[in-house]
Amino acid sequence: MNIDLFPLILYGGIVIAAIIGLLVASYLLGQKRTDHASQDVYESGVLPVGSPNIKISVPFYLTAILFIIFDLEAVFLFAWAISIREAGWVGFIEVFIFIAILVAGLIYLWRSGALEWRTTRQMDDRQSIKGEGGVVNIKRLGDKTSETPVKGSH
Amino acid sequence: MFSFQVGSLLNIALILGTVLGAAALLIWVERRLLGFFNDRLGPNRVGPFGILQSVADVIKLITKEDWIPPFADKLPFVVAPIILPIVMLLSFAMIPFAPGVGIIDMNIGLLFVMAMAGLAAYSAMLGGLASNNKFALLGGLRAAGQMISYEVFLGISLLGVVILSDSFSLRGIVEAQSDGWYVFPQFIGFMVFMVAALAESHRWPFDLPEGEAEIISGFNTEYSGMKFGLFFVGEYIGMLFMACLIPVLFFGGWHAPFGLEFGNEIISGLFWMAAKTSVFIGFFVLVRAALARPRYDQLMSYGWLVMLPLSLLNLLITGAIVLMQGS
Amino acid sequence: MSTPEESSIENRAELPAVINELYGKFGESSFVRQHTAEGMPTLWVGRDKLLDVLRFLRDDYTPRFEMLLDVTAIDERIRVHREGQPDSAFTVVYHLMSFSGNCDIRLKVALPENDQNIPTVISLWPAANWHEREMWDMFGINVEGHPNLSRIYCPPTWVGHPLRKEHPARATEMEPYAMSDEVQDREQEALRFSPEEWGMSRKSDTSEYMFLNFGPNHPAAHGVIRFALQLDGEYVIDCVPDVGYHHRGAEKMGERQSWHTYIPYTDRIDYLGGVMNNLPYVMAVEKMAGIVVPDRVQTIRVMLSEFFRICSHLLFYGTWAVDLGQLSPLFYCFVDREKAFNIIESITGGRMHPSWFRIGGVAQDLPNGWDKLIREFVDYFPARLDEYDKMIMANTTIRQRTRGVGVMNTQDAFDWGMTGPALRATGLEWDYRKDRPYSGYENFEFDVPIAVNGDCYDRAAVRVEEMRQSCRIIKQCLENMPSGPYKSEHPLTTPPIKEKSKLHIETLIDHFLSVSWGPIIDPTEVSMAIEATKGINMYYLVNDGGSGAYRTRIRTPSFIHIQAVPFLSRGLMLADFTAIVATTDFVMADVDK
Repeated sequence: MNIDLFPLILYGGIVIAAIIGLLVASYLLGQKRTDHASQDVYESGVLPVGSPNIKISVPFYLTAILFIIFDLEAVFLFAWAISIREAGWVGFIEVFIFIAILVAGLIYLWRSGALEWRTTRQMDDRQSIKGEGGVVNIKRLGDKTSETPVKGSH
Repeated sequence: MFSFQVGSLLNIALILGTVLGAAALLIWVERRLLGFFNDRLGPNRVGPFGILQSVADVIKLITKEDWIPPFADKLPFVVAPIILPIVMLLSFAMIPFAPGVGIIDMNIGLLFVMAMAGLAAYSAMLGGLASNNKFALLGGLRAAGQMISYEVFLGISLLGVVILSDSFSLRGIVEAQSDGWYVFPQFIGFMVFMVAALAESHRWPFDLPEGEAEIISGFNTEYSGMKFGLFFVGEYIGMLFMACLIPVLFFGGWHAPFGLEFGNEIISGLFWMAAKTSVFIGFFVLVRAALARPRYDQLMSYGWLVMLPLSLLNLLITGAIVLMQGS
Repeated sequence: MSTPEESSIENRAELPAVINELYGKFGESSFVRQHTAEGMPTLWVGRDKLLDVLRFLRDDYTPRFEMLLDVTAIDERIRVHREGQPDSAFTVVYHLMSFSGNCDIRLKVALPENDQNIPTVISLWPAANWHEREMWDMFGINVEGHPNLSRIYCPPTWVGHPLRKEHPARATEMEPYAMSDEVQDREQEALRFSPEEWGMSRKSDTSEYMFLNFGPNHPAAHGVIRFALQLDGEYVIDCVPDVGYHHRGAEKMGERQSWHTYIPYTDRIDYLGGVMNNLPYVMAVEKMAGIVVPDRVQTIRVMLSEFFRICSHLLFYGTWAVDLGQLSPLFYCFVDREKAFNIIESITGGRMHPSWFRIGGVAQDLPNGWDKLIREFVDYFPARLDEYDKMIMANTTIRQRTRGVGVMNTQDAFDWGMTGPALRATGLEWDYRKDRPYSGYENFEFDVPIAVNGDCYDRAAVRVEEMRQSCRIIKQCLENMPSGPYKSEHPLTTPPIKEKSKLHIETLIDHFLSVSWGPIIDPTEVSMAIEATKGINMYYLVNDGGSGAYRTRIRTPSFIHIQAVPFLSRGLMLADFTAIVATTDFVMADVDK
């Protein structure tokens, strides 16, 4: 199948020209002035300490690695989805095994804690809380919508 | 050349004009709707009912200082806001608005759209990293983590639709829905896609990359003037695009519900497409007014541990059913 | 006349139990007893015995004094009336509170002019940290053993200690101030956060820490406050709150205003509390002057205070939801708050700062038709709260974001001086209105809501229930409003009753003096506290017989609560930090005074 790409190229050209045109217009029309603190970096109105270019901790990289693994594997699924009728049940079983391995990997990651972004304090504090939370000594008549509270423990 | 046929100059001009106009209008619509949901008025001063608010905004943004922070990485700082509106507008090239109305009908339309969505992530990431601002950096990191995580099953959730229609072409998918919308057989796929679409366009409640209660304005903290405007407009074009894509994939595109077709099939198709898109725009605004923002770890574990397995399951079940029906 | 020992033994049975026990334990000669207007046990103690006495009161005495409610100082150098008090240039005052025994004690330490040093009590109560920094900042009293004795309210570049009597009280007594670029640069540089000063390292084994200024100009900082955050990616390692951006010197102003003209300043302490701020102040002055206010005044004061409690909690409720990413509740809450303000406006003429309470009464009687407006409100409001319950408190995301986040137990709350809803959220059922009723609260039927987990969700839930209880109290005010005068007959009532001035020239002169100078009250000291919107708000007034206070001390709950934010948020995420800051529910004007 041979598609005429001309409309897309034309449309794309207009779009890119329009967006860049907006920026250029703003560059030409915009006011230009400099005040005392104009060139400062914004950090809540006070001077920053330390540079933002720092070594960031591991969980962020981990997410990127997970993405690469799973997104690459998704590519194979795309190919299967479009040819499912040609591939038939044999293909289905193959994909099933493929997805099973994928899910096994996911379960392993989950069990080994790679999918846990919470801190230990978040988990501990969450464990320590009791009941539903909220006010405990004043019960309302019937459901929550009742207006009159029944006498509390006082 | 000037007739209603896919790829004609008339089509290109009309679609580009309509999309840009609709995106500008959408900003006003969202603010008015939010005002309505929030028990207040919203912008109502510029023009009748405030409808020209976006025009005033554009004039203001264009005449604002085009400022590049001296501490930023200049090239990526300028490129980042350009990426978002361009890729979102390019995605519209694939949308079949009505029979004979569209810019191009590619057999890999869906893949093109996915590729553009993937590129859109660079906008927030580059903007955040190039600003050399700590709030922007945190926003950029969040954008990176969130968008690449949700991209994984954004694609997988659509494979059910691909299996049913046996096509990557969006026009093919719409045509395959002439005897039934895919939202019914693909309900899980639809739900997963909705969530992923919200997260990909970092609309509320998934606005973590710019969650202002935490990181001021996130990746675009250092942006001002038209460069900020491009992020802003890009987000609205993206929202409009998602509101067009969902009817195309799951709600029969231009096909009228309950046989309510009228007149010319192009007019009827455009009408129903616009109607369906409006419903989803309203839905997106309602979501913004109603829901609270999850925390980063909740967002991530929700994606990886709930959405990803769900989309895989949906894919397998769809495949099995299609094969059983076929044999 | 009997010897001192005999007299002491004779009188011992009449002494308050805590003083009796202290005399027995440390010897009567270690203390000097002082009488104050409100009758709180007040003892002078030597600096060398201070820590032992405090530790005894905290750990070994029954009932335990669990909380250090306040620490402050008095510059005594030009005070005239100090009869029966030991010589002192600067007096450090410790106010301890026992929740289990429902009693207070005040300890004073005299410091001579040439030796202004006092040992730190942080080892006993971590909450003392900021009080001691404040004392250094305001009085220049050196606290020995303090981990980081730096200025807290004044900028680091400030010269002098403002609450010393020699420090100017008016801008006109100083050089005109101009903020040139150079001054601005210097001040900004002085504000730059230094991690090393707070003992923080810049990196761990695996990553570098990011130091982020969360505020003073930040959408979720709830005012001009800076939290210097030590972050590892999203994770909050540590946090240093930096306050003082909103400091106006309210305590210093109290020293040059008359008793009457200081009332409007109190409104602006917790600017969400409106006239509720007037209440502890006017009650303190009335206590000194011996004024007993009529029942109608008490009930009007209670009613308006509860309206402001609702207003303040509504603002908390809405902003809390916005901080968690839910947009709409803020607007709904503001609509309701507006309705309450309309009622306040029709009664007082003012909205946020009516300054409407007076010494011995209120400014005016209630207007005609006041009851109709209030009846509409009490019929309307509870149903709205039920709706918000479904929208906010029952929202799954909000529950996930706030339950088990920012947890503190009752002991932590005592250590950090947390009062009000934050304390009740940990499970302690203690409310000033219930346990030490003032202004006639004993006549009202209401419940004190508590929760058990002490997390962000519980702190919010307690406030929500308090709004319902406030509504209940307002309803009772409406139904049982006593008739009678709106100000006391007492001659020191300010402004006095006008009719009396018309009798003859003497009464006219009295009236003139009373209006222009305000009341002159016999020298004494007094402290008076209330259950304000955010916790215990206390005024401690030192009266030297002048037309105004010799020293005004305001104990604001927000100031103390902010100090606990690092404790609550260490080891959590940036998003949790926002939730914690929101449920700490502080007002910067209340923090910085």
